[in-house]
Amino acid sequence: MQVGIDLFVLRKSWLHEIDPRVKLFFVAVSIIILLVFKNIFFMLTALVLLHLLHWSAKIPRDRILFVWKTLMPVAILICVLWVVFYPAGDPLIQIWMVKITLVSLAQGAVLGLRIMTMAFVVFAWLYSTDQPSIVRSLVKLKMPFEWGLILALALRYIPTFQGMYAVISEAQQARALNISEGKGFGRVRTLMPIFVAMVISALRASDQLARALEARAFGAHGVERTYLRDISFRPLDWVFTFAIFATALLLLYLNFRYGFGRQPISLF
Amino acid sequence: MADEPMSSQTDTICLETRDLWFAYGDNPPALRGISLTIRAGDFVGLVGQNGSGKTTLAKHFNGLLRPTQGQVLLYGQDIRDRPVGELARTVGYVFQNPDHQIFSATTREEIAFGPRNLGLEEAEVQRRTEQAMEHFDLTEYADHQPAVLGFGLRRKVSIAAVYSMRPQILILDEPTAGLDWHCTHDLMERLTALHRQGHTIILITHDMRLIAQYTPRCMVLREGKLLLYDDTRKVFEHCDLLRETHIELPQVCELARELAPIGVRRDALTVPELCDSYADLIARREVTNAGGH
Repeated sequence: MQVGIDLFVLRKSWLHEIDPRVKLFFVAVSIIILLVFKNIFFMLTALVLLHLLHWSAKIPRDRILFVWKTLMPVAILICVLWVVFYPAGDPLIQIWMVKITLVSLAQGAVLGLRIMTMAFVVFAWLYSTDQPSIVRSLVKLKMPFEWGLILALALRYIPTFQGMYAVISEAQQARALNISEGKGFGRVRTLMPIFVAMVISALRASDQLARALEARAFGAHGVERTYLRDISFRPLDWVFTFAIFATALLLLYLNFRYGFGRQPISLF
Repeated sequence: MADEPMSSQTDTICLETRDLWFAYGDNPPALRGISLTIRAGDFVGLVGQNGSGKTTLAKHFNGLLRPTQGQVLLYGQDIRDRPVGELARTVGYVFQNPDHQIFSATTREEIAFGPRNLGLEEAEVQRRTEQAMEHFDLTEYADHQPAVLGFGLRRKVSIAAVYSMRPQILILDEPTAGLDWHCTHDLMERLTALHRQGHTIILITHDMRLIAQYTPRCMVLREGKLLLYDDTRKVFEHCDLLRETHIELPQVCELARELAPIGVRRDALTVPELCDSYADLIARREVTNAGGH
């Protein structure tokens, strides 16, 4: 399955059902927890639990693999760089000037795993929430409606611009532009006719869109906006919110009070 | 390719497709077994409903799309392995929206872009650029920013930018869309001039009046199949079939059919043709009446 710009996967699951604001809260809290904790076993447990979360939300396996494939190289790179440049403790092995220690290995693994776990947290939200719901939830969280509309339009126009890029690229190739020519800056220079035409077309499209919105009374003063589709918290959403909040509070208390998850290898 | 295109229609086949099939990804085929030949020097109109496969077919002629099955031959050579940039020397393609290709700071630079990509000497690039600007009446806009010119002028810039590469075959995808009647005719006259110079022109359009007036040959696509391909006059005889594909003949053609029983030529394509035919009819009757008295 090709993963496009709209990551949402339409399924009937508990994760899809809950209010998008709860999921947003979960993402925010999870990222704080993952940044505070530095233990490899904690990260591994979090990663397993997140996979269970995706599985219970009926997220297809190829979507999970997409996250792994996309972020694995970055995670490995971070891990390796940490191990090479930040040795701590007694070396397990030493190759020329490079010391590899158990602690730095664990710390590097924690950093790599943190990237993966954070990604799975964010993707759990994106896979189970469609774009209009994301925008609706942000507007409900007091983000100005205009900003929400801008976000919705930005998301809506991504596939349009993808299509535009394909057409412009074809148009320039038809004028004998060899788009596979050059490397690095040379390649950027080669692609400049496509980029500049893209920017001109995008500016023209945005200008037309702005005028079309104004022509439909967007931004008219003294008008109270109503919403066709609204979202509201149900009792179950409160339960989830409370559970997330309580778990986060407990973990942070254990961390700050007893040092739980502060060390890379030992839990306390 | 010769620098100056050969004159008018010849018996040389410049483009040929053999059992051409194409599908976008896993979708149903957009082209279904199209076999056709286009002679060098032809002026062909390509018509059909939206989604009938006109642009898809045309993009096969310059290698922007590659057949799922079948062959495309350019002057008898299979173009399967030839890059778009190389084919652009012989087959020029003008896209529907001029804004999809304009990027340079001046009209002159925009038009010179294609010839430069072909690796021509700078003097030759300048010569072709000046000629293209002259042909499309753009000389006074040479140092203007093409992106901020009016739509009609941007359209001309986009065509001149492809013409400056001197392709023998010129494909234009709805070049008159969004143009008023005056600009449309001005553009069509310039294309006709190119045709007279010997260029092969393939015109994708929905405007049947343009087909009637300017393109001696016409092909009609329906649901990815080649429905009709013949001289325009012969294609227009199949008015019922055309109507089935939601293609309406120009009113003057309908009028000619209505007046056929009184002796006006049935296959008149344009107003002047109809008028000439009617004038002939009147003249013949006057002669007959004079003879009778």
